[in-house]
Amino acid sequence: MEPNVAPAPEPADPGASPLLLEASAITKQFEGLVANRDIDFNIPRNAIVSIIGPNGAGKTTFFNQLTGIYPPTSGTIIFDGDNITGFSPHEVAELGIGRTYQNIRLFQNMTVLANIQVGRHVRMKGQWFHAIFGTARIRREEEATIQKARELLALVGLRRRVEDELAKNLPYGDQRRLEVARALASDPKLLLLDEPTAGMNPGETRQMTEFIGRLRHDLGLTILLIEHDMKVVMGVSERITVLDYGEKIAEGTPVEIRANPRVIEAYLGKQATSA
Amino acid sequence: MPVAFGSWRRAVAVGAVAGVIVLYLIAVGIVLAFAERNMVTGFVTLGRVMLSIPPLAAGYLIAGRPGPIASRLAAGLLAGAVSGLILAPALVFADAVPQVRDILLRISPKVIAFISFDHPAAFGALVNAGLAAVLGLVGAAARLTPPRLRATLVWGVLGVLIISMLEPFLRPRLTDFGLGAVSRLLYKSHGLTIPGAVVTFAAFVIFTSFWTPLRTRASDAIAASDPRRQATLRGVGLLLLIVLLLALPEIAGSFLSQVLVFVGLYTLLALGLNIVVGYAGLLDLGYVAFYAVGSYLTALLTSPLSSFGLGLPFWVALPVVILGAALTGLFIGAPVLRLRGDYLAIVTLGFGEIARILFLSDALEPWLGGTQGILGVPPLLGTARVDVPILGWELSGPTLTYYPILFFCILAAFVASRLKHSRTGRAWNAMREDEDVAEATGVNIVNYKLLAFALGASVGCLGGAIFATHLGSVYPGTFDVLVSITVLSIIILGGMGSIPGVVVGSLVLIGLPELLREFAEFRLLVYGGVLVVMMIARPEGLLPDVTRRRELHEDEEPEPEADATSLAAAEGT
Repeated sequence: MEPNVAPAPEPADPGASPLLLEASAITKQFEGLVANRDIDFNIPRNAIVSIIGPNGAGKTTFFNQLTGIYPPTSGTIIFDGDNITGFSPHEVAELGIGRTYQNIRLFQNMTVLANIQVGRHVRMKGQWFHAIFGTARIRREEEATIQKARELLALVGLRRRVEDELAKNLPYGDQRRLEVARALASDPKLLLLDEPTAGMNPGETRQMTEFIGRLRHDLGLTILLIEHDMKVVMGVSERITVLDYGEKIAEGTPVEIRANPRVIEAYLGKQATSA
Repeated sequence: MPVAFGSWRRAVAVGAVAGVIVLYLIAVGIVLAFAERNMVTGFVTLGRVMLSIPPLAAGYLIAGRPGPIASRLAAGLLAGAVSGLILAPALVFADAVPQVRDILLRISPKVIAFISFDHPAAFGALVNAGLAAVLGLVGAAARLTPPRLRATLVWGVLGVLIISMLEPFLRPRLTDFGLGAVSRLLYKSHGLTIPGAVVTFAAFVIFTSFWTPLRTRASDAIAASDPRRQATLRGVGLLLLIVLLLALPEIAGSFLSQVLVFVGLYTLLALGLNIVVGYAGLLDLGYVAFYAVGSYLTALLTSPLSSFGLGLPFWVALPVVILGAALTGLFIGAPVLRLRGDYLAIVTLGFGEIARILFLSDALEPWLGGTQGILGVPPLLGTARVDVPILGWELSGPTLTYYPILFFCILAAFVASRLKHSRTGRAWNAMREDEDVAEATGVNIVNYKLLAFALGASVGCLGGAIFATHLGSVYPGTFDVLVSITVLSIIILGGMGSIPGVVVGSLVLIGLPELLREFAEFRLLVYGGVLVVMMIARPEGLLPDVTRRRELHEDEEPEPEADATSLAAAEGT
């Protein structure tokens, strides 16, 4: 991956809170099941933080509430000064939260380029009637979008000649890269990565980890990871939040988390012995 | 030669299927319906062609299996013979036991005589079986000829078929244009003459064999030339096409123009539905509702005999009609926003029926006229006849309706192609691929679904509006579910999301049955058959969208590029 495109980081608003995202007292109840109970969770600007926890701990549920897939039963989510509790996914995307999926979900039968162009959707203005009349502004916007898409292809390390390939024909690793490029196309402030190294071999995992670090550094992004691979989480994140049975059981730096007896008991215990 | 027993068994099986298909075609009466229709007079009728296709196809299919050439040919021969031999006892039985006709009405002595070449049934059936074997062999031989040559020969045969089918239309036109001699050379008693068939075949073969390399060379040359020259050439090509389209009714005459009007009408409808189904992936089976709304609104506003009695000119009424249809699109779209796939299809099917029943209902009769409908819709341009001064054309009836349809088709195709390659079109495609992810990527699903419904409805209502002015009246019987099904079939046949595909689809599904009146009774059977064959042989449609073709046939073309990329990426780690 060649790090040749590096737009300047967003100039930090001096009056803005040091926290990009503040979720307070999030509770999510499905019928009788409490998937998330009273979770407080903050993400500082330009940080890389992770959520870990055993299967069924409520990580994905929490993620889905941040992205607006369903509203929390109670609690509030403040993103960059806006209360986004109960916003729909496309509104959340427009405000600047981009995401990838645990099991890759590209627009399979669209070309690589078109996938990124759709990612750019929220930053484009052209309406259907503009498109019919083919105004000069529309044409400029289309050209700029293609330009941007090609920059992103280069950024995530995809070759330009795959741009007309159907997304589903890419090899697995490249599909992951494309998914990241699609998420980046909307110029997100916060990037949510759902197990970005799932199914990758150690070499690819190392590469992805480095790439995540570079995204934060070069693009000034804030990144939230959900991850099972402990090496990735420990290596890359500044703060780790541990969920178990829908509750937050620990929070802290990797070193603190590694030493936390509750975490070891709930989650790391089995793995730490084998690792 | 030692050939595995399995491959012979396969040939027998394929032949048996072909034989059963032939039996079925006879039993439903389609063979007899075409028995009178000459292709080459005194030599081949369309009924015979119909009987020949299954053994031919069986031979072609079975010869596709790998093996030595001789055994592939033999397999074709065997498959053809089996298909004929399956037919033989059935024929003899049906001839000997007339009671068969109490159940299978169409197996008449006439059709038995036709199949057995007027010989006694037993002998005739054997002759027929022999012919089927030869056809199977021919099919197998076709499979073994090089593709280029095969394509040329197939075009020759198709040419004979097409020119003979066009006889009722071409013959009078040729005479009108002072080409009576050509007409006499080609045609005799509703079919081609033998010299005519030979000439037609030769003409098509020569044309195809010169045209294909010429076109390749020309397109290479154009691709190599500078962009400004390319743009000029494209402009000239487009101009020629438009001139041809404008002159078409005058060349074709009023009968063929009537066919063209229907082809155009369905093209327009299919262009509209293509936005909803092809682009946005919303399977709408109630599209006829928009067609009906367009018709009725036009009738209400323009007919002096309608309950409103406004008698507005068409072009004044049109904006109101389009607006009304777009609102109907929103009205129907809103409740189904949360439905996906099969459920959406079923609910829209219901909406289509509701629309028809509403137009038919007693409650609305004071306004919509119930079963009687609304009469007195004035012609689209206000007059029934237009004389074109310099060219001396007199346009009336279908030759006149053709022009607004052409105009709206071009308009709709233009709008559709602009939308397809825009932010809007991509948002629709994303929605079709994965609704949840599209929404999370920032596509406002609600708005884009409604937009697709409203635009599709607007185009559909244009079709309805023109249809009303063409017929001069509207009545609810016209708007049944078959319209929706037909339009959907056109899109599937032509290729989902493809604009040229829509035109080809309606030429085949609307144009052909109009030319072959004998088809009318078997229209749905033919639609079903065509769709089944398409789904197996060419699921992407006749003229597919480029990406769609790759989507369905990616496993057949090797993609060294992708492999090279993944390798390079792996090395990069």
